[in-house]
Amino acid sequence: MSELKTIFQKSQKGQRAYSLPTDGEAFDAFTPPAELLRTAPPELPEVSEIDLTRHFADLAKRTVGIDNIFYPLGSCTMKLNPRVNELCASLPGFTRTHPLAPDKSVQGNLKVIHELISMLCEVSGMTAGSLTPNAGAQGEFAGVRMITAYHHRRGDHARTEMLVPDNAHGTNPATAAMAGLKAVAIRTDATGDLDMDHLKSLLSERTAGLMLTNPNTLGLFSPRISAITQLVHNTGGLLFYDGANLNAILNIVRPGDMGFDVMHLNLHKTFSTPHGGGGPGSGPVLCKDRLKAFLPLPRVVVKNNSYQVVWKDRRSIGQIASFHGNFAIYLRAYAYCKAHGYAGLRRVGEQAVLNANYLKKQMGQYFTIPYPQSCMHEFVVQADRYLDRGVRALDIAKRLLDYGVYAPTIYFPLIIRECMLIEPTECESQATLDRFIAIFGQIVKEIESDPELVRSAPHRQFVSRLNEAQAARKPILKTSLCTQEV
Amino acid sequence: MDFISNREEQNRHLMAALGIESMEELFSGVQRSLLRSRPVSDDGLSELEVLRLLEGTAEKNRFPLFDQYLGAGAYQHHVPALVQAVCSKSEFLTAYTPYQPEISQGMLQAIFEYQSVICALTGMDMANGSLYDGAAACAEAILMALRHHPQRRRVVISSLLHPHYRQVINQYLSSHDLEVKTVGYDAEGQLDLAGLSRVLNDQTAAVLLQSPNFLGFLEPVKEVFEKADQVSAVRILCANPMSYGLFSSARELDADIAVGDSQPFGLPLQFGGPYVGYVAVREGFLRQLPGRIVGETVDSNGKRGFVLTLQAREQHIRREKATSNICTNQTLAALASLVAMLWYGPEGMRRLALTNYQRTAYLRQKLSEIPGIRLFGTAPVFNEFALFFDRPLVRVLRLFRKERIEPGLPLGRYDRRWVGALLIAATEMKSKEQLDHYIEVARQAASR
Repeated sequence: MSELKTIFQKSQKGQRAYSLPTDGEAFDAFTPPAELLRTAPPELPEVSEIDLTRHFADLAKRTVGIDNIFYPLGSCTMKLNPRVNELCASLPGFTRTHPLAPDKSVQGNLKVIHELISMLCEVSGMTAGSLTPNAGAQGEFAGVRMITAYHHRRGDHARTEMLVPDNAHGTNPATAAMAGLKAVAIRTDATGDLDMDHLKSLLSERTAGLMLTNPNTLGLFSPRISAITQLVHNTGGLLFYDGANLNAILNIVRPGDMGFDVMHLNLHKTFSTPHGGGGPGSGPVLCKDRLKAFLPLPRVVVKNNSYQVVWKDRRSIGQIASFHGNFAIYLRAYAYCKAHGYAGLRRVGEQAVLNANYLKKQMGQYFTIPYPQSCMHEFVVQADRYLDRGVRALDIAKRLLDYGVYAPTIYFPLIIRECMLIEPTECESQATLDRFIAIFGQIVKEIESDPELVRSAPHRQFVSRLNEAQAARKPILKTSLCTQEV
Repeated sequence: MDFISNREEQNRHLMAALGIESMEELFSGVQRSLLRSRPVSDDGLSELEVLRLLEGTAEKNRFPLFDQYLGAGAYQHHVPALVQAVCSKSEFLTAYTPYQPEISQGMLQAIFEYQSVICALTGMDMANGSLYDGAAACAEAILMALRHHPQRRRVVISSLLHPHYRQVINQYLSSHDLEVKTVGYDAEGQLDLAGLSRVLNDQTAAVLLQSPNFLGFLEPVKEVFEKADQVSAVRILCANPMSYGLFSSARELDADIAVGDSQPFGLPLQFGGPYVGYVAVREGFLRQLPGRIVGETVDSNGKRGFVLTLQAREQHIRREKATSNICTNQTLAALASLVAMLWYGPEGMRRLALTNYQRTAYLRQKLSEIPGIRLFGTAPVFNEFALFFDRPLVRVLRLFRKERIEPGLPLGRYDRRWVGALLIAATEMKSKEQLDHYIEVARQAASR
């Protein structure tokens, strides 16, 4: 008999949690037309409030967040999600505002939007922006759409290609494809930088632009970035900056100064908004003057000393979200920016880079470091030396879970064999970093003496290694009241 | 303030280990001209100052002081207290995407249960773990239909689909070479069936209908989908999921894809987000689903567990060939919806939908009896309805607002034919006293 029950299996006839106001017979006269009614009630479980409460407490017990353990996930920037931001976001003065409320009645919200865009522009070297994209991928989509709109407005319809490094995050080529462009991959050279010769050979009058992040997904800052952006501009293309790695250079180097025309940010990375198990995030798009006409709607402007919402502008690419985007998320980022000030944001970037380099130095005793130069906020190591013991990066990642730390990002970027991408963020203390190194020391000893222990990890979780192949082969994507749960 | 742990003492140690003496040396590989100088003074705030600032900002919003009757895709419903209690738990709030499933079983099971509840409500076979919002869900559904019928180039959309949703669809379709046909509505406020017949052909990949539609009317969905089926167009139904507590499920109405926004369950208005897009499909559309999906499996001891599955559809594996570029979705918001939907349960869902229906019907009936007010149409509505005032709307609004009522959404900016009309939503949050107050003020507004 299995202990694991979904909420559907906990149903008991007639039990319930809800309550509803009753207003007597006034409303009884109004009955919906019978032919429109569903023939049977939805097959949902009947559960009391105490059982629902315990069910979710049990689910929480079998999950961990940044609040619980160290999460050195490269490319994810798993920093503390400050609780003061949660308090701010739950103020009824914010939660009770309707997105279509008259402008005069939501001046607080509009102030937040306007000011946050200003602050984000200031640290990015951009002049305008929109907070409506609901996640990084949507911010990328907005930015790429703006680039194509720019070219089309100039009468140039030949630019159908978007250049993307081969180590780029998957959302970059996926976004290019969604925007109707052909994603063309540029090779990475031996130093971990963009291959300049390959880039030059791919630039043409068909190039809409180049999508780049800097530092890149290997954690390396290109010493040639200005030359790269200039090259692309010279051929008439535009530059899109993927802001996922902004934590490394926050208020230290600005994408606008590097030559980028448009960019997105991940507020759930750099700006501490909570990951929530996979979202909601927020992916603002920011740009320089020559693209600002194309920014998505709606926009917040200042007119006659008050804030107003603009819903129509023919040059805009249009709406990208149903309303103002994930307002309650970027509200948290607003509080974060105000708390830090520009001075604090600067400290974030510097500390993130210091913490990462410290870790990288220590990791060298256990792993191959493919790029020996100084890294930024994250770095790549390779676990390939353990392959002859039958141990892969995946196995080491699973064994880390048993030691109470989350595994780093594995097998990304795709171009590095048995790689782990590690990002400590600025938040972690020296003790946490030292403990992380010590854990690897332990695991490496285990690989020597008992590799099977590592190959079959994890051992101390609620489940052992899960069969992902089976899940894909025989998809079971839901349960129901009728399902015989074994 | 900041949340950096290491201070001078620790940083001295870290820098010594690296053989450097200052932070600047860490950036020696960066072009000099790109480096900004450090801010001279600390412009940060203490925690209490942050709170004070945000509380003051929230107070600048006068809207929460009003009795408000706005709907149009964002609805004010009771959020059960349990929702906040669950969603603020550390483990859910601060967890990452469950790519390491062994340590994220609770989160994965929650998403699995959300998928299951959406299927139970809509009657469909499978659902994903959420999309950004109802607008994105509609757009992705059309893209799914286009992949299902790769040779077809026409898409048919109801003119009473939420106008913002239509905007987002246009965004997603902007690079596709397509014909998008919009079908108008009749005097009842429902889709013009003759108009639909005129645009359906064997080139039609999809028919997208919203019911209740933007003006609150319940559409003749079965009839619309029967026509769509005759040309094998993919039948997409966009619906407020609360309506499924009472009215026919998407499955009973013969939809192929059910989409919408589950914001009415568990999510406050929050000025438009985060909300939750849902997409649920018939079996045959599984491989085309965008976004994350949780599936059931076993561990090496045969114990039941959950994982993200069918990831080969997604951007991190398929890159430019992915079904969508979506990565981060709305997981925590979906959890909020899940808790609320379970809190109501089957009986509560029905009663909740019924009381929403009744309060709206009551208000609509009483208002229709007032001279100077004309209903938009006579078809049944759920949760909201539109009506015209003969008196200038500017004065009507002023009168209501003096009574601290925001009476509804002026519709003139969406369509010239709708100038002078309001879209009015009444939910279970409105007591009979409040509704009667509205009616009283409306009587004055209509006559003066």
